Amino acid sequence: MTTAPVYPVIEIDHTKCTTPFDCKKCLQICPQAVFGVHAVKVDRGVETNPKEPGVYQLAVRYRDKCTVCNDCVNVCPTNALKITYP
Amino acid sequence: MTFWVDEAYGDPNYGNGKWFLNPKNHSRQMYKIRKPGYKPAAYGSDPESQSGRTINEILETRYTDPEKFKTLIAEANAMKGDSPFQIGQVITLEEAHQVCELTYPVTAMSCICRIHTRAQEERNEHEYSCTGLGVGMLKWERWPERYKGGVKFLTVQQAKDWLTKWDKKGMVHILMTFGGSYVGGICNCDYPDCGAIRNRIDYGVETGCLKSHYVAKVNYDLCNGCGICVQRCQFGAIKFEVTRDKTNIDMLRCYGCGLCHTACPRQAIELVERESIPALREVW
Repeated sequence: MTTAPVYPVIEIDHTKCTTPFDCKKCLQICPQAVFGVHAVKVDRGVETNPKEPGVYQLAVRYRDKCTVCNDCVNVCPTNALKITYP
Repeated sequence: MTFWVDEAYGDPNYGNGKWFLNPKNHSRQMYKIRKPGYKPAAYGSDPESQSGRTINEILETRYTDPEKFKTLIAEANAMKGDSPFQIGQVITLEEAHQVCELTYPVTAMSCICRIHTRAQEERNEHEYSCTGLGVGMLKWERWPERYKGGVKFLTVQQAKDWLTKWDKKGMVHILMTFGGSYVGGICNCDYPDCGAIRNRIDYGVETGCLKSHYVAKVNYDLCNGCGICVQRCQFGAIKFEVTRDKTNIDMLRCYGCGLCHTACPRQAIELVERESIPALREVW
């Protein structure tokens, strides 16, 4: 008998997490490298400024690797992360 | 080779038919080939970003529909010729040096994978960790966000020293194409921040990280069990065999990057041609 795999659910509050590329605390502390960060606003010919709010967005890329150790939740200075394990 | 790269683009006159040693795949003409209806690229419409998005979509189905995920991965890996993915292949340091002699220009630049996974900013030549190749690099200033932190143009000798430096640090060299078989970069990769290695090891996306033309093999007469090679392997192929007090390489897991080979102080690890091992001949 096989059961469907259960993965943690990681919620990011983008209104609180506005400059992830500049902060990068969760990205660097994660032992499983679950997160990713990407630019959502790119102007041609200009390098996007990591300190400008809202131009980079944090994303969860490898959710199945998350062990819910909660290091990211504890390190987040804005309390933008929430992990639930069903 | 089971993939399109050697069958269509290798040339027996160069480097024993290895596709990346065929000068044509480094030429300006290859860079300029556009598909019909192609519009000039804006940021995010290049082959690299498109391939990244497609892979992301596939990876997303592993939560929503695990069965579909398996099918999509199998379909992607079976594709030849017009694979929408970036093709990447692990190469040895020696092969990377040969590529540096073939192509122009060679540049040091920041690693896009490390920017994405660890938000690692690389702003000068001491911090850069990726290598850009070919005429495309001459236009890097048009996409400053892609080449975040700028680039540094290297001479052939500097490029070789640069790749050797990363080999010493323990990074795997992966050759990357950018649209068609046009060779556009040599990445210096490790697990987990390299997308190509991670997607292959953890999720089975083969095209971004094909195995090299070699496979490592231990000479048990020479190995004294110092264990230096064990920490060099990014693919989990090397274990320390306590019983024999020597190193053990799983040739099925080996990607043939040669990091253990270059680090061994007793030259106890040799690189064997993949094609000479019957069970590994078709394993790329």
